[in-house]
Amino acid sequence: MDFVFPNEANVTWTVMIVLYPFITGLVAGAFIVSSLFHVFGRENLKAVARYSLVSAFVFLIFAPLPLLVHLGHPERAFNIMITPNFSSAMAGFGFIYTAYLLLVLLEIWFSLRSEFIARAKGKGLAAWICRLILLYNLEEDESTKRTDHKITRFLAGLGIPLACLLHGYVGFLFGALKANPWWSTPLMFVIFIFSAIVSGIAVIIFHYFVVSWINGWKIDQVCVRTLAKYLWGFMIVAVALELLEILSLAYKQTEEWEVLRTLIDQKLFFSYIIFQFLILSLIPFLMLAVASLVKLKDRLAYALIWTASTMLLFQVLLMRWNVVIGGQLLSKSLRGFTNYFPGIWDREGLIVAAIIFTLPFGILYVFHRIIPLFPGAVKVRGRNDDQVTDTTAGSGT
Amino acid sequence: MNNHEKAGNGATQKTSYRHTFRLAVLIIIFILAALLVRQILVPEAFGLEGSYRAAAVNEAREFPIRHIGEKACIECHDDIASLHDKDAHAAVPCESCHGPGSDHAQAEGDVAIRIPEGKEPCLACHRLLDARPSAFPQIRWREHYKFVGVEDTALDCIRCHSPHEPLFMDRDIRSARLHPLIHRCQDCHTERFDRESRRPDDHPAIFECSYCHKGIVEDFSQRAHSKVQCSTCHMFFKESDFAGRIIRDSDPRFCLLCHREADFRSSDAPPGIEWPGHLEDVAMEPGDREKRCVDCHQQRIHKIMERSESDE
Amino acid sequence: MSNRSWTRRDLIKLMAAAPSLLLIVWGPSSSRGQDESDYDAHAHHWGYAVDTTRCIGCGNCMRACRAENDVPEGFYRTWVERYRVGIDGETHVDVADSKTLIFAELSGEISKAFFVPKLCNHCEKSVCTQVCPVGASFQTPDGVVLVDEKHCIGCGYCVQACPYGSRFIDPHTHTAGKCTLCYHRITKGEEPACVAMCPMGARIFGDLNDPRSKLATILRQNRYRVLRPEMGTHPKCYYQGLDREVV
Repeated sequence: MDFVFPNEANVTWTVMIVLYPFITGLVAGAFIVSSLFHVFGRENLKAVARYSLVSAFVFLIFAPLPLLVHLGHPERAFNIMITPNFSSAMAGFGFIYTAYLLLVLLEIWFSLRSEFIARAKGKGLAAWICRLILLYNLEEDESTKRTDHKITRFLAGLGIPLACLLHGYVGFLFGALKANPWWSTPLMFVIFIFSAIVSGIAVIIFHYFVVSWINGWKIDQVCVRTLAKYLWGFMIVAVALELLEILSLAYKQTEEWEVLRTLIDQKLFFSYIIFQFLILSLIPFLMLAVASLVKLKDRLAYALIWTASTMLLFQVLLMRWNVVIGGQLLSKSLRGFTNYFPGIWDREGLIVAAIIFTLPFGILYVFHRIIPLFPGAVKVRGRNDDQVTDTTAGSGT
Repeated sequence: MNNHEKAGNGATQKTSYRHTFRLAVLIIIFILAALLVRQILVPEAFGLEGSYRAAAVNEAREFPIRHIGEKACIECHDDIASLHDKDAHAAVPCESCHGPGSDHAQAEGDVAIRIPEGKEPCLACHRLLDARPSAFPQIRWREHYKFVGVEDTALDCIRCHSPHEPLFMDRDIRSARLHPLIHRCQDCHTERFDRESRRPDDHPAIFECSYCHKGIVEDFSQRAHSKVQCSTCHMFFKESDFAGRIIRDSDPRFCLLCHREADFRSSDAPPGIEWPGHLEDVAMEPGDREKRCVDCHQQRIHKIMERSESDE
Repeated sequence: MSNRSWTRRDLIKLMAAAPSLLLIVWGPSSSRGQDESDYDAHAHHWGYAVDTTRCIGCGNCMRACRAENDVPEGFYRTWVERYRVGIDGETHVDVADSKTLIFAELSGEISKAFFVPKLCNHCEKSVCTQVCPVGASFQTPDGVVLVDEKHCIGCGYCVQACPYGSRFIDPHTHTAGKCTLCYHRITKGEEPACVAMCPMGARIFGDLNDPRSKLATILRQNRYRVLRPEMGTHPKCYYQGLDREVV
């Protein structure tokens, strides 16, 4: 099994294309958490509602970056919107992305309007930025607040199908490609959405713990446990779908099964079987089961939840890797495999990928300096000069 | 604008949209501007024939043609062409060995065309590969050199085989007679075979010349050329409309491929003569100088039999 | 910012303005760009056939294509595969050396071996044109699938979509590359370079619209099939003598 079509020796979709669905997955997942609060009224999640909405926005801004790095002609990137060929799932990207960006932007504008107004009344660069954002209209009273709330709810609700579309179209892009037996399945759309939600919740939990620990804030116990339960539930569905896909292939054993089996047994054995399923799915499943069902002391529960979330974050990233790269390792001649290792310093290499992934967290910090992301956070330990600047009475809306 | 909505306790509560006005205007401006920019940026001729830029079709026609074809070569090189078209390489296009000729033709010879060097250009086609159809002439060059008695392996193929006239067929290939080549079961057997059918060990050797030409083969095996394969002189190729026919003219230059005296031939080489010196040496009557090798040396090869004399 | 509510009149004005506005910004684009030329693309429907029993694996086609179209080394617009079925039943497939494009001799006893030329199949329902997000991969009116190199963004979706491995991203132009059936030659009455340079007549090119063309004739007189018909791509490259080992 050592023949690939001569043009297949190079892998076209690199680690950048692994990163892109991962980031939009974080967006979709974080947005769902925010909508759980705004639309479905899950008051338990108030502590992270604002953060999840803003982080959805920040990740969204960075989502096109890996794509631009990958394109052969990034200067022609707008061709997707100027001359879209709508038979292609990829053509939807420009419009869905723009619409969704607009929606999230608007939702932030409306949900944080009171905070912006309070900040705008001050002095300095941050205040000027807030005035600009508000379009120099600082009017506020009960009626405007009610409007803001109404519109926020509407947008949060509209955003759920739009988020599913934003991330789901990537799944469809892979799943509808009949030429690649590793990708071609109707389940891909759904698998991507559910694993996106898992990654979104996981990154919120992960970041919440890290930031709280750094700043010495008290963890909102109810919020975290609620998130953990949601995470557990969504990950069960996501992993079940992933398993269903592979078991279905293994059972049917159509023509391409030979090469797929060899792909799993040899090329992807560690990343797929050992890591994606055994270590990074089974163990977090057990951890979250214990944390959700058993009465535990806070510290132990938090340790389990945080570890499980981190592992699930990697699980989703690895799943994207196994799908994107795995599908390109196998030859369409069904007779062999090629190899791929992302260069370290290449334009589409690991250093660039690391930069793209960490930049959003930097931007989130900048945002936090203007409007705090975790209002109502209470310090329980730490330095006195490190005050939480919470300038609003109400919060989270 | 002021709207009213009912709150939970029945009292109406106002919602004000005044502060959204600027935002709404900004969004509308943005959308219109985007549409306008899109209209400006759409390439001309997009969408005429389909979802693509129609002008790209004509642009695809504008690449330079690099391989110009035999007719252009013949304009200047008709002497080579006339040799080439009568020999075994008649179907081999000039540019397949010499590379694209557009630059050379346009400069009318001032820009050189590639002259193939070494053995590789020949071996690309004539190297013995098990995947090649067995009837196609192919060799392992070291074995071939040994067979024809050439010791110096640095010598190239063209030392003996002119690339334009590799075999001296000297005959219009296209009009030569076909020789039937029996090589498939169904050429003789009409019954269907099941998947497990194999040729039985005692099946007559029909893939060999001796099946039809037993007499000739028996005779041949007694004579000087018994080590040479039939297909070396009688080129059988799979039936096709252009390649290979039986050599019937016995052009002397064909025999000379092996039998021409040369200083690079080893002591095991087939007996060699000087040419055309040999003709001078042995000619006794005036007509002798126009004779072919086989006219005198028939006994070295095999009897020419009438078809009825050989066993069917 | 008036306090007046929206009236019916405002609504009607908006409904009247919107379509005309949309028409202005989304109407048909300019019709310039289609020059007059002597070649009528609508009159032809180009096709291709391969007789694998005639291929000797000389590599002339690959070398001709590379020279004619500036194909970068390591990438192929057309290539030849060699299949060797060993006596143990294992099949080994390879292609020629990427630099010289010449096949080397391999050891090992075989029960069957043969060559199969491959190229872009110029599918009637090609997946590559379906998935191109910007319309840079398209089919001409005469049936040839081309890449608009000025418009392609190099996303690589078409490369993933092709079931036959015919496409690649050209490392020099950063756009998709593939066999163009030598469009610049066939529209001027020539044959593609690979067809012209094949000494064995293993590759046949012609106009499917013309029942008297060589292509149409041999398709009528012989038995041909296509690669991966289950993909539903309706390729226009027909193969004779395709072994079951060939995908």
